[in-house]
Amino acid sequence: MDQIVFLTEILFPALIGGTVITLELIAVTAPIGLLLGIAIAVGRTYGSWTIVEICKGYVIFFKGCPLLLLLFILYFGFPTIGITFTAFTAAVIGFICCNSAYNSEYIRGAMLSVQQGQLIAAKALGMTKRQAIINIVLPQALRRAIPGISNEFIYLIKYSSLAYVITVIELTGSAKQVATKYFMYTETFIIVALFYLAIVTVATIGINAIEKRVAIPGFVQK
Amino acid sequence: MNRNLCTIMTGTFLVLLLLITGCTTTPSTETQTEKPLYIVGIDGEYPPYSYIEPDGTPMGFDVESVIWIAEQKGFDVKIQPIAWDGIIPALQAGKIDMVYSGMTITDERKEMVNFSDPYYKVNQSVVIYEDSGKTFDEFMAGSLKIGAQRGTTGAFWVEEHLIDAGLMPAENLVTYDNFPIVVQDLQNKRLDAIIYDTTPMREAIAGKPLTQIGEIDTGEDYGVAIRKEDTELLATINEGLSQLMNDPYWETLKEKYDL
Repeated sequence: MDQIVFLTEILFPALIGGTVITLELIAVTAPIGLLLGIAIAVGRTYGSWTIVEICKGYVIFFKGCPLLLLLFILYFGFPTIGITFTAFTAAVIGFICCNSAYNSEYIRGAMLSVQQGQLIAAKALGMTKRQAIINIVLPQALRRAIPGISNEFIYLIKYSSLAYVITVIELTGSAKQVATKYFMYTETFIIVALFYLAIVTVATIGINAIEKRVAIPGFVQK
Repeated sequence: MNRNLCTIMTGTFLVLLLLITGCTTTPSTETQTEKPLYIVGIDGEYPPYSYIEPDGTPMGFDVESVIWIAEQKGFDVKIQPIAWDGIIPALQAGKIDMVYSGMTITDERKEMVNFSDPYYKVNQSVVIYEDSGKTFDEFMAGSLKIGAQRGTTGAFWVEEHLIDAGLMPAENLVTYDNFPIVVQDLQNKRLDAIIYDTTPMREAIAGKPLTQIGEIDTGEDYGVAIRKEDTELLATINEGLSQLMNDPYWETLKEKYDL
């Protein structure tokens, strides 16, 4: 088959379809993963004993469980106990669990870097613990956690490719289908790599812009 | 501090160098008989033709066939399970020397590799969940959600005869990495029907609440795939195959694997 015809009429339409699914996976996972990550980090740092232990268990489990295995359990295992997710839902749940566990660790580290004295000072000014966490600790901690969270975000873009093993036809899945059908492996996978590179580059530029925008002059050192 | 860093870096560099040189030196263990060694690529989940026993040994009709041929023709074989949807590129890249694992001879594959003489005939089998009430007519009309292993002739058949013919939307064909998970997903009731080669399908559904509702007479021939340039190996395999098929061992094997 003519290379140009293969690229323009078969490969690109398939990969663009796959890219849309990949972006959907990321768009659903990233915000929930971040919010859940914040909640877990706060719970683990300032919660009562029970909450601390629950958050610890969550993080230990999802950091330790290989994502691929988690996806297999969610997709192929859960139907045997009567819960049948669609492939997309199973992928999103798996990604959120993994993403939030890692995010919570970055945020927890950043929260611990906020000096204890600030919390005491907030108390002295009459703030409740809750107010102090929301108004004093988190604004500083989240800014400090941006490099870690952005790393995790870029990992998410790349590990979203695992969804193809549970039949989600995202970018890697669509590439595999085309490559298998037309026996064009090298061309297909090089182009897919460029697609991922493009997505990651755009994401990196976006994150840098956010980091700059939210930076407080004089607060974050260059 | 700086000196320490320097020492660590030099050390790391030396270790890496050692590893690299270790990788590039050719293995010195040459067999005295100088029998050629061919690596045979198989689908490790394709009973009864090729599969891996729980203890890790490759078994199956095709595996035992190639071992027999190797003995007769005086070469050694190493059986290498490989992901099916990447098995032809692995052959072309020289990771394996042949695919002897119930591979159907198709025109598309023939453009990439050479095939030996055919040694077995199969059709495509369609299977549903026992009480689901789906029919073969619904299948042929394209109104079912169908599961298949990626890169198999079953998946190609559905693409060609149902999707490309406009009977079925493309998303109703769900493709998987290997066949056991296709069967699992039918049991999970995400799929209405699954399609696969007749003989391995029989093995795959044995003892499960699944029934065959029909067979598509594709009349496919299995052959051994070999790189285009390896014409000598192709001739050897063809000779070995005809020798095997004329030997009583062929019937013994067929009986053993219930073919």
